[in-house]
Amino acid sequence: MMVRVPQHERLSLGNGVALILVPRREVPLVAFNAVLRGGALGDPPSRPGVASLVAGLLEKGAGERSAYAFADIVEGVGGSFGAGAGAEAISVRGQFLARDQRLMLELLADALLRPALDGGELEDLAARHIELIKAAKDSDPAELIDTYGRAFLFADHPYARPVFGSEASLAAIERQDVLRYYDEQFGAERLILVLAGDIDADLLARGAAESFSRWPRTVAPVPAPAPARALAGRRVLLVDFPGSAQTYFWVGNVGVDKRYPRRAALDLVNTLFGGRFTSLLNTELRIKSGLSYGARSSFTRGSAPGEFSLRSFAQTENTGRALELSLRTLDRLRSEGLRREMLDSARAYILGQYPLGLETDADWAGALAEIELYGLGKSYIDDYPAQLAAVGVEEAQAVIEEAFPRADSVAIVAIGDAARIRSEVTGFGPLSEMALTDPEFFPPKVV
Amino acid sequence: MVSGAEAVRAATFANGMRVIVWPVHNIPNVALYNWVRAGSRNEAPGATGLAHFFEHMMFNGTSRHPPGDFDRLMEAEGGANNAFTSDDVTVYQDWFPQGALELVLDLEADRVAHLAFTPEVIENERGVVASERRLRVEDNSQGLLAEQVQATAFVAHPYRFPTIGWPADIRSWRLEDLQGFYRTYYAPNNLTLVLAGDVDPERAIALARRYFEPIAAQPPPPPVRAIEPEQLCERRVLIRRKAQTPILQCAYKAPRAADPRGPAVSLLLCALVEGDASRLHRSLVEDRQLAIEVSGHWQEGFDPGLLWLSIMLPQDADPEEAREALDAELTAVAADGLTEAELERARNLAAVGLWKKLATIDGKAQLLGEYEVFHGDWSALFEAPARIAAVCAEELRSVAKEILDSRRRTLGVLTSAGS
Repeated sequence: MMVRVPQHERLSLGNGVALILVPRREVPLVAFNAVLRGGALGDPPSRPGVASLVAGLLEKGAGERSAYAFADIVEGVGGSFGAGAGAEAISVRGQFLARDQRLMLELLADALLRPALDGGELEDLAARHIELIKAAKDSDPAELIDTYGRAFLFADHPYARPVFGSEASLAAIERQDVLRYYDEQFGAERLILVLAGDIDADLLARGAAESFSRWPRTVAPVPAPAPARALAGRRVLLVDFPGSAQTYFWVGNVGVDKRYPRRAALDLVNTLFGGRFTSLLNTELRIKSGLSYGARSSFTRGSAPGEFSLRSFAQTENTGRALELSLRTLDRLRSEGLRREMLDSARAYILGQYPLGLETDADWAGALAEIELYGLGKSYIDDYPAQLAAVGVEEAQAVIEEAFPRADSVAIVAIGDAARIRSEVTGFGPLSEMALTDPEFFPPKVV
Repeated sequence: MVSGAEAVRAATFANGMRVIVWPVHNIPNVALYNWVRAGSRNEAPGATGLAHFFEHMMFNGTSRHPPGDFDRLMEAEGGANNAFTSDDVTVYQDWFPQGALELVLDLEADRVAHLAFTPEVIENERGVVASERRLRVEDNSQGLLAEQVQATAFVAHPYRFPTIGWPADIRSWRLEDLQGFYRTYYAPNNLTLVLAGDVDPERAIALARRYFEPIAAQPPPPPVRAIEPEQLCERRVLIRRKAQTPILQCAYKAPRAADPRGPAVSLLLCALVEGDASRLHRSLVEDRQLAIEVSGHWQEGFDPGLLWLSIMLPQDADPEEAREALDAELTAVAADGLTEAELERARNLAAVGLWKKLATIDGKAQLLGEYEVFHGDWSALFEAPARIAAVCAEELRSVAKEILDSRRRTLGVLTSAGS
C-alpha cells in the first residue's frame, strides 16, 4: 500500500484564487492553509522582515475585531490561527473543531482581506521580534546558523536576506513599508487556499466564493529571483560567541531548485550523506569519533536554487578537527560515490518514512499547497515511489556532481569563541568576522 | 467518547511485560513506544545522568549485533528511531513500515536481553553526551537556569538531579554502574510496549510474545522511597551570564501525574500561558510589555513534581518588575479563580489538543503509554475528554490556590553578567 494524494476538488475562482477542498474524516477537526505567493521576496532589499511583520499583523486586528477580540474568538472555540512568512510565500495556517468551520473561514477572510495593520500593533510586534532574536542568541545560537549561512553565501541575492528580519532592519521598518507590502503583494491571483479534514465541502466552497471572489488581483507580478551564482573557492565567517562551550558550524553552497528533475536521486544521496542517523556525516562526527551530538545536511529548494548545507557542532578545542572531518566527508562522497546496496537502503528508508509526513489534515493541506505553489502536479507525490525505484548508481553520481559542492568551494560559518578558534578557522579560507551580538546577520562589507 | 477504545488489545506476558496494541490503518506504518520505568529519579549522587546515558548505550551493540547494526538494519527496512529520557522514564521509539514489524520487535528484544558493554564505545558515547550537554545547558540560558532551579526546588527527592547528569558524573561512570543499572531496570517486568498503526493486534501480540517472553523477569527495582518534605519558604536562584536577555522562571510544587486533580492542573496551566488570549501572555506580553514570551509546563511524574512558568524578558528589563507583575496576576488567580470564559477556552483548547495528538499513530502510541505508565491503565485515555469537560470553576480555583503559593515555589532569575 502506497500513500497517494487523497480525493480532492480544485476550483479556480474568476479572479485567480485557487481553492482546494480535501474531505477526510479521521478526527472532528478542519485545517486550513492559505498560501500567498511572494513572501520575503517582496521585502524591500534594505529592510528584510516586512513580509514577516505583515504576516504577524494579520491576526492583530481584522474586520470588525480588535487584536484581543480576534484571539479571544479563535482560542475561545479551541482553535488555532497563525501566520508566518517564508522566503517565497506567506502562509496562514490553523485548525478548528469541525463545528466551527464557518467561523474559521470568516476569520481567515477578515485576516486576508481586511487586516487593520495598525501602527501601534506594528511597533509592539517589531520590538518583540527584535528581542526574540536576542533571546535566541542566548539560548540556541545553532537555530540561527542557517540565517547567517544564507546571508554569507547569497550576499546580494534575495535569498541572502533574513526572512524574519534582523534586529537592525526590524527597528527601521515603518508602517508605510507594511502598507506598501500589503498593497503590492496581497491579491486574488496570489492566493492558494486549501481546506482539509472533516469539512462540508459545499458549504466551504460557497463561503469561499462569497468571501474571496471579489478580491482584486495584484498589480505587480510575483517576484521571481534569478538563479544565484555558486561560490567558487572558499570563504569563512567567524561569528564571535565569547565563552561558548562549543562551536556551531555551517558549510554550504548554492544547490538546486524545486523543479530539479533528479529530485528522487537527490533525496537518496542526501539521505545517505547527511539525512539520517547512519549517514556518512553522522557516522564520522558522532558514531565513530564522539565529536558531536549530531551532524545533518539538507537542500533548501525554491523557485530558484537555494542552498545545500551541512551543520554540526563540536567542543571549542575540536573545532578544526570537526570542520576538517566534515569537508573530508564531503570530498569522499564525490570521490568514492555510492554503492547499489547503499541506494537500496536509502530507498527503503525514504519509502518507509514519507507516509508519516502525510498523515494528518494539516499535512495534506501543506502538501497540496506546495504542489500548487510550485506547479508540481500530484505526480510529485503519487509517482515518487516509482521515481525512487528507478535511481541507479550513475544517476546518483550525476546528482553528486550537479548538486553537491566540492569541499574546496564552500562558504563556512562558525559561531564560537573567536579568541580560541580564530587561528584554527583561518586555515580554511579568507576570514570575515562579526559578533553574535551584532544587530545584522550580514558580515560587515570587506573594504 | 474517543472512538477506537474497542479496537485496542492488551496482554501481560508470563515475565510481567505489558503489551498494548492499537490497530489504525490510515497509513501503512507503525509507531512503537517501549517505556522503561527508569529515569533520573532512580539515580544517586555521583552517578547522575546514568538513565540518559543508558538511552544512548542501547543503540550501541549487543552480543548478537555489533555496534551500528541496530540503526543500519532498521533504516534499511524503512524504519527510523529515537529515544528520550525524563525524570521518570526512558522511552524508545520506532516508526516503520508495517512490513518491518518482526525485524523491529526482534531488535528491540535483543537489546533488552543482550546488550554489550564495549569500553571504547562507552568512551565515545561519553563525548556525544558531553556535546549534548553543552548544546542544551552550557550554551543555553534557558537550560542553564532550569537546571539550577530544579536542583534547588528539591532537597530530598532525586527529582533534583538533572536528567542529562552533572558534568563530573558524565566523565566518571564506570562499567559496573552501567551493568548494574541494566540488570535492574531493563527487565521485562519493568517495561510497557505500545504499538499503534497498521497491524493486526493478535499477530502483533504473538510476535512480541515470541521475542520478549523468553527474557527472564528480574526482582522489581528498588522503590524510590524519598518523599520531598513540605517546602517552607520561597527559594531563589540568581545566575549572571554573558547574555543579552534576562529570564525569569518559577517552579511551583505540583501534584503527581495520577493525582485526581490532574485535569484541573492542566486547564489551569492552559488558561495561564497557552495562546495569545491566555492570562499571562495578555497581561505581561501585550498589556504591559514586560515580557516577550511566556510558557509553562507541568512535570507530570510518578511523584509530586513541579509546575513551571518561564518568562522571557526584553534586554534591559528589570526582572523584579516582571516578577511583581507576575505575582499580581497569580495572586488574583489564586484568590478569585478564572472567569467562565477562560475556563471554557481552556477546556476547548485541551479538547482540540487531544484530538490533534490522536490524529497520528505517533500521538496514539504516546498517549496510550502515558496513561498506562503514569495512570496505571491505558483505558483512562478514553475518559480524558469527559474528565476535561467535567472540571468546574470551583475545582480550578481550589487547585490554583493550592499550587500558586509563593512559599512553595523556587524562583530563578538569569541576568546579563554586565548588569
